Amino acid sequence: MTENYEVPVAAPAPEVQEQAAPQKEVRSKPPKMRSGKKMNMISKAVIYAVLAFYALVIIFPFLIVIITSFKTWQDAVASEFSWIPPMGFTFEGYREVFTYKASSDSTLPSLVNGFFNTLLYVLPPTILGLFTSSLSAYAFSKLRFRAKKWLYPLLLGTMMIPGTIMIVPQYVIYDSIGWINTPLPLMIPGMFGAAACVFFMRQFYAGIPDSLIEASKLDGLGYFGIFFRIMVPLSVPALLAQGLLGFIGGYNDYLGPLLYLHEDHLYTLQVALNNIADTFERRSNVVMAASLVALVPMLIVYFFTQKFFISGIVSSGLKE
Amino acid sequence: MERVIAETVAERTIGAEVPADLNAEFEEESVLRERMPSNKRKKKRINTEEIYGTLFAAIPLIGFCIFGLVPLILAFAMAFLDMGTGWDITSAEWAGFDNFVYLFSTAAEEVGISIFRAIWNTLLLGISTFISQILALAIAYLLSRDIKGRGIWRIIYFIPYVCSVVAITIMWRYMFNPSYGIINQLLGNTDIMNGAIDWTGDPIMFYVTINIISIWSGMGYGILLYTAALTNVNQSSLEAAEIDGAGPFTKFFRIVFPSISPTTFYLLIMGVIGLLQSFTVTNVFDKTGGPDKNGITIVFFMYQYLYDWQNVGVASAASWVLAGLILVVTIIQFFVSRRWVKYD
Repeated sequence: MTENYEVPVAAPAPEVQEQAAPQKEVRSKPPKMRSGKKMNMISKAVIYAVLAFYALVIIFPFLIVIITSFKTWQDAVASEFSWIPPMGFTFEGYREVFTYKASSDSTLPSLVNGFFNTLLYVLPPTILGLFTSSLSAYAFSKLRFRAKKWLYPLLLGTMMIPGTIMIVPQYVIYDSIGWINTPLPLMIPGMFGAAACVFFMRQFYAGIPDSLIEASKLDGLGYFGIFFRIMVPLSVPALLAQGLLGFIGGYNDYLGPLLYLHEDHLYTLQVALNNIADTFERRSNVVMAASLVALVPMLIVYFFTQKFFISGIVSSGLKE
Repeated sequence: MERVIAETVAERTIGAEVPADLNAEFEEESVLRERMPSNKRKKKRINTEEIYGTLFAAIPLIGFCIFGLVPLILAFAMAFLDMGTGWDITSAEWAGFDNFVYLFSTAAEEVGISIFRAIWNTLLLGISTFISQILALAIAYLLSRDIKGRGIWRIIYFIPYVCSVVAITIMWRYMFNPSYGIINQLLGNTDIMNGAIDWTGDPIMFYVTINIISIWSGMGYGILLYTAALTNVNQSSLEAAEIDGAGPFTKFFRIVFPSISPTTFYLLIMGVIGLLQSFTVTNVFDKTGGPDKNGITIVFFMYQYLYDWQNVGVASAASWVLAGLILVVTIIQFFVSRRWVKYD
């Protein structure tokens, strides 16, 4: 299944090699002369050095955060940054992160509460949106109906409309129907599916042979039956990739929760994190510990799913 | 497009050959079918598919109509309304172009920043989009060479993409802190400016700081798409060019660049649309809008009028300026792209 899914990404490479192979046999001399070993060694060393330097640039801030989060606050804001803090390592920052409550009547620490809120707000629309998007993609790729001709371009057209230009009227509407200070504005719209997800899943479903659909029709499967028994099982990796993308987007969203949620117990992880950063402005060890706690769940998800993840992004970014 | 046409043709031929449902329930019908002209029989079968297909396909569009189209129409109307203070639309009065006049001139006097300044800030803070795209191409080009551990490099480079912008901004703000941040300390050791740069308080350095954060977090996506695009570059024409004596630069600009131009175009369009809507980094970095209000982007401006000052009319007018800007830039890019983007 996995290999099948990666075909759109990986396919061009073997083709290219096949094309190139016969020519290489004929003109094997010139390339060899070019890749003289000395030249290669030097340029390779330069390439590795650049790549390693960039990797260091990526990793360096995380090292700083990790070390700072285990410092006392005096060491964390000392004018001289220390890799080994003079006052020793401590869990002070983490203790504060896991006990701090923005309001005294809340049962959970702010950051933990924010984490569970985020899951509560993000998971249902991600899963349901995935379902509606792929159902729509199934219709666009495998069913015949007259409206298809204009519905599909219309749907793709909606992707071109930038989301931020709608925040003002959306806020007014949500205010008038009493949705402000509820997670509903963050949850309900996503449940109808996303155009980008439909586009991606349609590309994927186009690769499933029509004969398979016809055969299962003959076996007496209805439209829902075909969708659940044939389309969904065949597209698990693609669905996973799209689900992950949606989940990451929701987990890291900031403007939406900032606009619609105004009470401590409703805050998402990102808003709670930003509030902690403001509250503990002078105690950088707490702020860094909070940042790290907010980052770690996503990093874990990423490292375990990066294969689906990367291929999902590549194929949804490469159109046609 | 060709594929779509081919698909529908294939579907039609299959549909014509395969009889609808061979269930027992339809036995009677199939007896009837033999007498009926084939035309009618087809129509009967298509009907359920027509209904289910339209229904399934339309769900995301129904969602868009409710949560997108209605707000869009409302946004257009609200830009010409004076709703006083608050979000209650029933208290609205006709305001003509007052909101736009306020946006372009009065706002500067009253709160110190007009929409022009917000646009200017947005553009200066968004320079990172172009720098990170060039750097991403460079890194991807190196990754496309014959090197080991390509997968591992890619995994590392993509880490910032999955991290929340809030956490990243907080992290960098700590490192950029002028009095105890490590960046000034590192620079101090190398005697660049004696490590006394005011990254967060100086209005000009503020632009630089935000751009550095954006480059750091934005490169991963470009690297990923470019590495995928570079594997599709035709190797045989590269070799042919080499035999003809083309140097590395000629090879890059004549062969590699044209063949990855669709990716460049896609990243550029998406990047520009994204940079025009930037908000989170500057808002998290400095809630008040940065030194000299240099962190007030267009969306930040809208957010302040919508939420802090509860002036919905001005906020709507600002969102139309944003929409117009995005539309114009996108159209220009599409026209210019005809000259340099090559789809084979």
